[in-house]
Amino acid sequence: MRMRKLGILVLITSFFLTACLPGPTSKHGNRSITIYAFSIMKESLERDIVPAFKERWKQQHGEDVSFSYSFAGSETVTNQILQGAPADIAILSIELDVQRLIKAGFVSQDWFATPQRGIVNKTPFVILVRAGNPLGITDFADLGKPGVKLIHPDPVSSGGAQWSILSIYGSELKKSEMESGQQDKVRALNTLKSVWGNVFVTPESARAARTTFETGYGDALITYELEALLMKQAGAPVEIVVPKATIFSEHPGVVIERNVTADERDVVNAFRNFLWSEEAQKAFVKNNFRSSTNDALNEANPHLVKIEMPFTVHYFGGWEKASPEIIDGVFRDQVKK
Amino acid sequence: MSANLSTVRHTRGFDVIKPLSVTALILMMLPLILLPLASIFIFGMSAGLQSFWHALTMPDAIFALKLSFVTSFWATLFNIFFGLFAAYVLARYSFWGRNAIIVLISIPTAIPTAVAGFALLLLWGPYGLLGRYLPTDFQIMFTPYAIILANIFVTFPLAFGVIMPVLETMNRSLEEASATMGATRWQTFWHVTLPSLRGAIVGGALLTFARSVGEFGSTILVSGNLSGRTQTAPLYIFAKFNEGQVEAANAVAIVLAVFSFVIFSILFFARDWLETD
Amino acid sequence: MQNETEKFAVSVRGVSKSFGTTTVLSDINFDVLEGEILVLLGASGSGKTTILRVISGLELPDSGSVRFHEKDVTDVPARERGTGVIFQSYALFPKMNVEKNIGYGLRLRRRPKAEIKARVNELIDLVHLNEHREKSPSQLSGGQQQRVAIARALAYNPEVLLFDEPFGALDAQIRTMLRREIRTLLKAIKVPSVFITHDQEEALELGDRIAVINKGSIEQIGTPYEVYMHPETEYVATFLGAANILPGIFRDGKFTADSTSLDLDESGNFRDGQSVSLVFRPEDVFLRRPENLKQHYQQLADGVVEEVSFVGAFERLTVKLLVGKDKSIVVTRPKTETSMFPLVAGQNVTVGLVRFRVLPSAARSAES
Repeated sequence: MRMRKLGILVLITSFFLTACLPGPTSKHGNRSITIYAFSIMKESLERDIVPAFKERWKQQHGEDVSFSYSFAGSETVTNQILQGAPADIAILSIELDVQRLIKAGFVSQDWFATPQRGIVNKTPFVILVRAGNPLGITDFADLGKPGVKLIHPDPVSSGGAQWSILSIYGSELKKSEMESGQQDKVRALNTLKSVWGNVFVTPESARAARTTFETGYGDALITYELEALLMKQAGAPVEIVVPKATIFSEHPGVVIERNVTADERDVVNAFRNFLWSEEAQKAFVKNNFRSSTNDALNEANPHLVKIEMPFTVHYFGGWEKASPEIIDGVFRDQVKK
Repeated sequence: MSANLSTVRHTRGFDVIKPLSVTALILMMLPLILLPLASIFIFGMSAGLQSFWHALTMPDAIFALKLSFVTSFWATLFNIFFGLFAAYVLARYSFWGRNAIIVLISIPTAIPTAVAGFALLLLWGPYGLLGRYLPTDFQIMFTPYAIILANIFVTFPLAFGVIMPVLETMNRSLEEASATMGATRWQTFWHVTLPSLRGAIVGGALLTFARSVGEFGSTILVSGNLSGRTQTAPLYIFAKFNEGQVEAANAVAIVLAVFSFVIFSILFFARDWLETD
Repeated sequence: MQNETEKFAVSVRGVSKSFGTTTVLSDINFDVLEGEILVLLGASGSGKTTILRVISGLELPDSGSVRFHEKDVTDVPARERGTGVIFQSYALFPKMNVEKNIGYGLRLRRRPKAEIKARVNELIDLVHLNEHREKSPSQLSGGQQQRVAIARALAYNPEVLLFDEPFGALDAQIRTMLRREIRTLLKAIKVPSVFITHDQEEALELGDRIAVINKGSIEQIGTPYEVYMHPETEYVATFLGAANILPGIFRDGKFTADSTSLDLDESGNFRDGQSVSLVFRPEDVFLRRPENLKQHYQQLADGVVEEVSFVGAFERLTVKLLVGKDKSIVVTRPKTETSMFPLVAGQNVTVGLVRFRVLPSAARSAES
């Protein structure tokens, strides 16, 4: 009876000892930078950019800096930061999210007083279909054909979803402008309506949408070029359909001023600036993004597709116009009903 | 208290209802419970044991499992003590507002876990009602302590709900006998009440722990989901799925499934011991 | 009744208790002498359990006092009173074995281990549970559990032992045997005890004195002989042993009812014309064929035998009295009688009374 009591006591104390919270996987004790980024940034950051920066920093300053990451849809990332998530750097999908952070006092007003107005990389939106393109998709309008099952991320949580909506709408505007000299807003609206009518699932982020498509759901997916390339390169039986006109999404990278302490400032700023260094931009291209600093770097990646009629958000007058007029005015109020 | 299995004969000759209903039961369970569980294991083993082991031993995966078990351990410990204390006060004393408190204690089961997480953020986040007064180094949210807090909230009623009925139906004479023999309230509690609660405490702890390990909705909000820092096992599975790394997600999913199975097997087979008076 | 309470082991004075609007006890007064076994006898709901709980400290009386020897313990909490309670369910601690149960009280008082061990052994011998000392309560029979309960209560030398209907859960045979064992035990250790029961046979056999309780009040306290042979109220008479009751009027120093009358030995307490009840026990009835009635029994009335039952040790008959409202009485006759004067249903008999009591009528108001 005594032995049993003793045994139980030993068991309990050993459990207590091991039950102290585990240390983080990345080394602690030294300085650390926390990056909150939207979903598709994961590979480029974790595999190439951050290790390159760490090495460079170590060479220059002899210090090991540790990094921690959190990835989700761009809107979700922004909301987390607004609630106090400890991000030092945020890379987001749409400028609007940066505006939200500025409004709440997390990011300084002059965030774009950096190279490329704060944009770290860009990528065009393409259409991904199953191998052989059985449904004969050639452009965004075809996605509105009856019988097509479309996966589309949720615009509420995903920045990529909003880019996608702009690309559908804008491509029709651009094509009609090319054809008749005038933007046909009705045609664009109708295309958006028919396409959205074929959406049967809205995952939380662009990455989640890709995973869903990968698992075998749906006939088509509108996504960042790099996601499409990643899938192809992994050997998935998919084809990329390049629309005639499509939008280039541009991704801002910002420092969350409020969370950066004085003694971290130097390394955080250095990292942010590093994003525009040639080394980092080359790494982005390698990961199927397009450089924001130098288009010539894009040559290095032979897989990147050629876009006939590219446009950016400035085609709509910037996010300040695009968001209220198209995302809210057209999509939310007229398409989604 | 073993199962009160029926031996009544309902029909002459062969009773076809019995095999029919048993088969129907299993058929119903197949698509709802058995097959989904099986698919986790089938998929996980499809790429071979090697690949499974590799996915499982990645540092972030191990961290996620460790974090889940440790945070659940502390949440369970707290809730056992609190559940005991609350059950004792509510079962032994009558006071104005007693029924209201009993209802309040049970509320966390009815609240969606996301709401719970959100509420905690609003209160303790760096810009929250109370959190704003906390110095930066003592911020709770987005740390493992937030996970423990969220788990305490969500699993609060479980241990309490197991212990309270035992206390209520316990033979009062035992405690009265102890009192007449000279014991203080604490001595009676320690020597008489507690030993009889042994089964309920263990059962409640196992239940709380299992539920806590699987907690997702509140954790995803309050932890910040930092991989390798505050990412628990369920969060890890979700993140890996979103990233397209289905094998990694699967490996951890298998561990959690096996773990839950073990816990509930213990609960089942030991229930006689747990409930012996 | 002495007013000095120092001589008594337990002294209860003026205790009253109500639960909500129900009065459970009203003005309870009694004493327990040193080394005495006092039995509180009453029906369910009479309040006897509440008295026990008041003495042990588990309930607080609304008024009145409880004293142990000199000390007033009315305000003392249960754990400091030093009573030993044996509960109806025995309340043995299920997770402790016999030894641990018995030693509990001493462990609470932090007695040295050796002392506890010695005392536990002593008690185990006293209640003859040596082969069972390591068993847990669930492995013991009812009688064994009861012995453990007693030993456990005795371990710390209580001022008084309180037994709450301890024989309720046992078979009749075991009950009788245990009763005697316990009485012997209690007399040997000389600890004053209070027993609660509703079983009058038990009360008669077990108690040095019996207090009969009816609806929260004590109707009579006395030795078994006193309460049985000289009940002071109808309730006491009918509760202890069977009793036949005949209503009547006290007139001219006699009990009269319709056509019969009986002379009373002591008539002092009754007014002329007062309603009274004639109370007599079945075994005090003498039946004879009308022509054989002997002189020294008072004749009550004539009657007809209704039913004859053989009940083992004696014979029980119901006899219809041919007086007044055709009342049936119960009569028991020992074997000596039945063999000498066998009776069958339908026979005419004369009913004589060996012994009887006349009590003030309980229910009816006084006439005239």
